[in-house]
Order: sequence, then C-alpha cells, then structure tokens
Amino acid sequence: MASSRRTPSNGEAGGLRLAEPPGVRLVKALAEGDRSLRKSFEGPLPEEDGLLRLYEAMLTTRLLDDRMLKLQRQGRVAFVGTATGLEASIHGSAAAFGPDDWVFSALREGGAAVQRGMPLYDYVAHMFGNRDDTAKGRQMPNHFQCKEVRFPSWSSVIGTQLPHAVGCALAMKKRGEPSIVCAYSGDGATSSNGFHSAMNFAGVFQAPVVFVVIDNGWAISVPSSRQTAAPSYGAKARAYGMPGVDVDGNDVLAVYAEVRRAADRARAGGGPGLVACRSYRMGGHSSSDDPSRYRSREEEEYWAQRDPLLRFGRYLEAQGLLDEERRERLHREITARIAAAVEKAEAVGPPPLETLLEDTWAVPPPSLRRQVLDALRVVAEKGEAEKVAGRFPL
Amino acid sequence: MPTIEFKLPDIGEGVHEGEIVRWIVPEGAPVQEDEPVVEVMTDKATVEIPAPASGVVSKHLVKEGEVAKVGSVIFVIESEGGGGGAAEPAPAAAREEPAAAAAPPAGGGTAAAVAAPPAPPAAPAATGRKVKAAPATRRLARELGVDLATVTGSGPGGRVRPEDVRAAAARQEAPAAAPEPAAAPAPPPSFPKVAGSREVERVPFRGIRKRTAEAMVRSKYTAPHFSLIEEVDVTELRAVRQKARERGEALGVKVTWLPWIMKAVALGLQEFPQLNSMLDEEAQEILTFHYVNLGIAVDTPRGLMVPVVEDVHLKGVLQLAAEVRDLAQRAREGRIKPEELKGSTFSITNAGNIGGVFATPIINFPNVAILGVHTIRRLPRVMSDDSIEPRDVMMLSISIDHRLVDGADGARFMVRVRELLENPALMLL
Repeated sequence: MASSRRTPSNGEAGGLRLAEPPGVRLVKALAEGDRSLRKSFEGPLPEEDGLLRLYEAMLTTRLLDDRMLKLQRQGRVAFVGTATGLEASIHGSAAAFGPDDWVFSALREGGAAVQRGMPLYDYVAHMFGNRDDTAKGRQMPNHFQCKEVRFPSWSSVIGTQLPHAVGCALAMKKRGEPSIVCAYSGDGATSSNGFHSAMNFAGVFQAPVVFVVIDNGWAISVPSSRQTAAPSYGAKARAYGMPGVDVDGNDVLAVYAEVRRAADRARAGGGPGLVACRSYRMGGHSSSDDPSRYRSREEEEYWAQRDPLLRFGRYLEAQGLLDEERRERLHREITARIAAAVEKAEAVGPPPLETLLEDTWAVPPPSLRRQVLDALRVVAEKGEAEKVAGRFPL
Repeated sequence: MPTIEFKLPDIGEGVHEGEIVRWIVPEGAPVQEDEPVVEVMTDKATVEIPAPASGVVSKHLVKEGEVAKVGSVIFVIESEGGGGGAAEPAPAAAREEPAAAAAPPAGGGTAAAVAAPPAPPAAPAATGRKVKAAPATRRLARELGVDLATVTGSGPGGRVRPEDVRAAAARQEAPAAAPEPAAAPAPPPSFPKVAGSREVERVPFRGIRKRTAEAMVRSKYTAPHFSLIEEVDVTELRAVRQKARERGEALGVKVTWLPWIMKAVALGLQEFPQLNSMLDEEAQEILTFHYVNLGIAVDTPRGLMVPVVEDVHLKGVLQLAAEVRDLAQRAREGRIKPEELKGSTFSITNAGNIGGVFATPIINFPNVAILGVHTIRRLPRVMSDDSIEPRDVMMLSISIDHRLVDGADGARFMVRVRELLENPALMLL
C-alpha cells in the first residue's frame, strides 16, 4: 500500500478512519458512555415506545444479514450486501419518515423496508428469488422493493436512485401531495453524476427530499479519504444551496433527530436537505468481497467498539427500557421468525415460466413471444430445467 | 439420518473454483447448522463456509491445499433428521452418486430428476426422463431425427454430447442401410461403418502446466533464439567416468554423464561469461554472473521442473553427481522447496535417456542460454589417420538469446565445451 501517497483527510489518522474527524462538527445525541443524552442535544426524539421498535428494527437487520450471509456461503442464496455496522444510520433515518413518504434505497437499506412494514417473508423470498419474490425473480438479490411501503427497487448502478428520488419528490410537490422522499446513497455515490444532478435539481426546484448519505468509510476498496477532498459529506450540500449536516452515524438518536429535522423542513415546503451519517461497514462490500485485502484489522476493531447496537443497547438499559432477558428474548424471537421465513421461502419454487415477460413490455414483440411459447412447449414435453447448484445467476 | 452432500457454491460472483484452506470441523465431528465447517479461498475472497444443517461431518472429499470446482461435493454431513428444516440440498446430491440411487426415489416432482443409472442403449429410456443436453446438441438431435430420450449420455452427470447423438443416428441408420444397395449398378466396395469415438477429455489448464506454458511463451516471444548443434566424442570420457564410478560407489554416489557436462559447462561459462548473463530490461542493464548456478530440467510426474545446483564452478564431479541426483529425486517426489527452483544463471536439459538426435530447446528465461544433452550412440567415425572406428558420440544442442550473444561466441563456447568433454584431463587445467 502506497500510504505515503494518501492524503490524510476526512478524519483519517495514520491510515485509520476515525469516528470523529477533527474539524468537522458531528451531531451526537448520546453522551460519553452512551448511558444518557448530551446536554447540548436538542432532539427531536422518537416517542418512547418508538425507541424499542427502533432497537428491534436494528437487531432484525443485524440477524437477517447474518443469516443471509450464511445462506450465501452455503449456496442457498446467490448474493448478499450486508448492513452490519450501519443499522443506526439506516433505521434512525427511516424512522423519521411517515408511511406515505417514499424511500429510495441503495444496496444496504432493505432493512428500512421491513421497518416500514414489508413482511419479513417478502424480504427473504426476494433473497431466494422464488415465486413469491415481489421482483418476480428478475432482480439481483438484495435489491428489495415493496410497493405497499413505497420502497422502489434499486438499479444497482451507483447514484441512479438519486435523480429518481428527486423526480418522485417533484411529482409529489406538483400533485400537491404531502408525501416527501428519503433518498439514500453511500459515500461512493457522492462522486457519481447522479448525485450532482439530483442535488442540483432538488436545490433549484426545492424538491421535498432528504438526501441521507451513509458514509460507511469504504466504497468497495476506496476509502472515504480518497472519495472527496471536501472536509465532510455534509459540506457538499452548501454548494447546492441546501442545508447539510454531519451526524454520528452510529448514534441512532442523533441520526433520527437530524433526519427528522430535515424531513419536517421539507414537508413544510422548506426544500431539500442532506444528512451525512459517519459510520462504518463492518462486513465486506458484498458476499463477493474480502475487505482484509484493503483495510486493517485494527480499523475494524476500532469500529467494532463503536457498534451502533451496542451503543443504543447501553442507552436503553440505562433508561430501564431494555435488560438482558428482554434482549435475549428479542434475539430468540427474531431468529425464529427469520428461520421460519427461510424455511418457507426455500420450499417455494422459482417464478413460473409464464411470467417471464410480465411487466417488461406493454405488447411483447412477436420474437420474444415465440421464444416464451417455445420454452413453454419444451417444458411441457421435457420438464423444467434443473437448478444449477450454487451458481451465481448472472 | 439424511445424507447431505455439500457442493461448493459460487461464493463470489462468477467464481469457478476454490482452494480448501483449512478444515475447521474434522471428519467424524459434530456440527451445528450455520457453524463454520471449512475455510475456502477463491480468487476473490477467503471465506468460512457454514454447515447447511446440524449433524456429523462424515467425510471431507477434498484435502487442505487442494482446489475444488464450484458445484463439486466437498464434504458430507449425516444430518440429524429434519434438523436443517427445508435446507437440505438432498435431491441434488442424490443425482450424482449412483450408489445413492439405491434408495427408492421419493415420489413427487423433483424425484423425477434423479437420473437413472446409465441404461443399456437397447432399452428405450423411460419417457418423461429429463435429458441433460446443450441446446446445440438438442438441435443436432432434431436435425438427425434422434429422440434424445433414447440416447445415453457420455458426458458428466449423464449429459448427452453431440457425439452421442451422432452415434445414435449412426445406429438408427445402420440397419436401414443394409437392404438398400441391392439394385444399384456397380456397388462401390462397402466397408463396415466405423463409428470411431470422438471423445475429448477436458482438464483445467493450471498448475505447473500453466506456469510452464507462460514461462515458455515469455521466453520464446522475448528472446530471439538461435540454436547450434555440436557433436562430441565421449569415448575417452567413458573410460574416465568408469573409474569415477568405482570411486563414487565407495562413497555411495552414482556418477552419471551429467556432472561431467555440468563441469565442462561451468568452465566454458567462465571463459565465455556472456552466456552466463541476463538482460535487466527495466534497468536497461546487462547482468553478468561471475558464478555458475545451473538449472537442471527434470521431468517429473507433475510436469517440468528446473531445480538449481549452486556454485557449480566451485564443486567437483562427485559432489555435483550427488547434488543433482538429490535435487532431481526430490523434484520428482514433490519435496523440492520453492527456493531450490530459483537463481539459475544457465540451464541444462537432459533428453539423453529418452531419445532423439538433437533438439532446439527453449531458453529458461531470463537465462540467456540452455544446453540440450542427447543420447550417446555408438557410431562409426573417421579418425585422424583415416581409419574408421566405433566411437561414443553425443550431440549437444544449445539455444541462445541473440540479444546478448552473437553466433560466433555461441559457437566458440560449444567448441570449448566439446574440447573439455573429449579431453577430460583438460578440465584440470
């Protein structure tokens, strides 16, 4: 590693990504030790029973990721991009939006759909791409969609969801609907042209959208310090004429407060805003990635001590809302729910061949129709093709 | 106790194989579902693979350090019935092993996928059997009017290959063709139709084979080779060698021809050091070695290896005999250390014990030359007094990198080596 060529910036010291970059005002809610709130913290806070729901959502994502990655290693699902370490950024932000708002996700925010009411089974069915998959088995795994909770699928191409989100926000505004939009992206996407177009458009047309940048430290193998020369991601908002703020992305209450503030402003006609959550992706970029090739164990251990579930758990315990017994029960219940969903999803076959062209053409061209008919005829004669064990479906 | 044969999944996007780094759960040990069983390294990542169900890991099918293909069975779990829920990829497992097919197929849709043990061609296969064949093969079958369901596949897992279809077509044709030629005027002599096997074996291109290929391509396309052949009369050397053999036997060393040639080469290289050099293209410098490390090409069961005998210029024939024998033996047994394959300044390839008159060897890059040693034959030769005598004659061939060495110097070196071998006493000078 030619570390000598790397400019230490964006809160990196000696090649190690710091939780609190010097020279950046990072909004925090939890006091040192995570047992209480800071005096300087202004809120807003979720209502009290919302706190435990938030914890449960975070834990669900943690356990789902853990199980999905194991299933991937066993060749039972094809691909996983985990959110481990990012649960506070994801769920704190998602909690700030209402059921009629829209959420445009990137790779790791599928847990937010579950938090908004997507059935756990639908989540797992999509991972298997079975006949109950809402994407009908046509999407890459880990690209969730749920119409009922206004959670569109993601294209996989970095930053493309952002102009979509702004377009959606403008549509809401033009129609006079009160819904606003949450637009997720990672640190890497801030270098995409989609980010620029979306930010610029949103600023000029005052779209009711909140950009939530989850800066997880690494865009696959590119460190955040090489992603931008700006002092922080929050600072980028200024150039587009909108407020931007940097928050401690592993402090779920700080994330909630700042995203809620931006959401309330957008809903009140105050235009877009950006909230950059400084966090850390504990796992690989995806199930195909080996982070030990580009980052140090020391850095991973540093961030493991700042685990968002650990920190929020400490706060809830100090408030008397959580104890060991309750934590274990939650753990057990969620694990069992996931296991049941996996068992059900795995037993369900792939989407029927007849659905091959559904939703792709208003009127499918004759050549494609012929192909599908041929395929159906062959299946009728010979039976369906067998599943190729463990192969990635691309 | 269902048996689960765990197949190596594609743990990255488009990964084809993985090296077994470490078995975490030994054979015969119990494991819980989702607990790691084995560590596998692919070209993308090293990952732990968890058990798909609770049970006992009854068998490892791949050793540590070996490479397994995606889709091949790497371990077997005897699971505690039903413990893994719907997890077991059992139907897939049953498909591969004919032994497993002994169990009665559990009725239902997927069971139909269980391939019957290869049926004799005569018996028409059960209808409804799924036939494995590539689309091109299916088209071929349509064109030749062959019902794929009646064809026994010779491919992996019973897959029907194009040659199976053609053979089936030939069988269909054969009886029909018999009565036909009766009326034809002047029938051409009919030969029995030969259905020669067109079977092609495919093995992955990797390991020593691949490294050898890469090294040869680099050498041949980097160094412009020229070759010289020299005939050497080793009749006198045979006599000397015979004496050395007796001496060697006392010391437990078998003295072959090679150490003498090594000795002569080392002396020749000290006289013509431009053949004992290399080109550092990056630095644009010619490196000339003032020591002689000889790479000796050894034909091993795993392919060509070139262990290196160091400081040949400082060692006697007996010591060289002992060292080269030891290196060659360990190379053949796969016990050679990687560092023993490095640092040659010149190489020798010995084809003498196999055959061939001479060769044009490929240089062991970045050496600038390689000497080929060939079979010693008893041949009539014209002596200085015009008499004809039976002599021991050996061909030496050399390939040289013309970038650093010109033809004349190459020839001078070969003449010098010949002189030394023809007059072994000169090696003492």
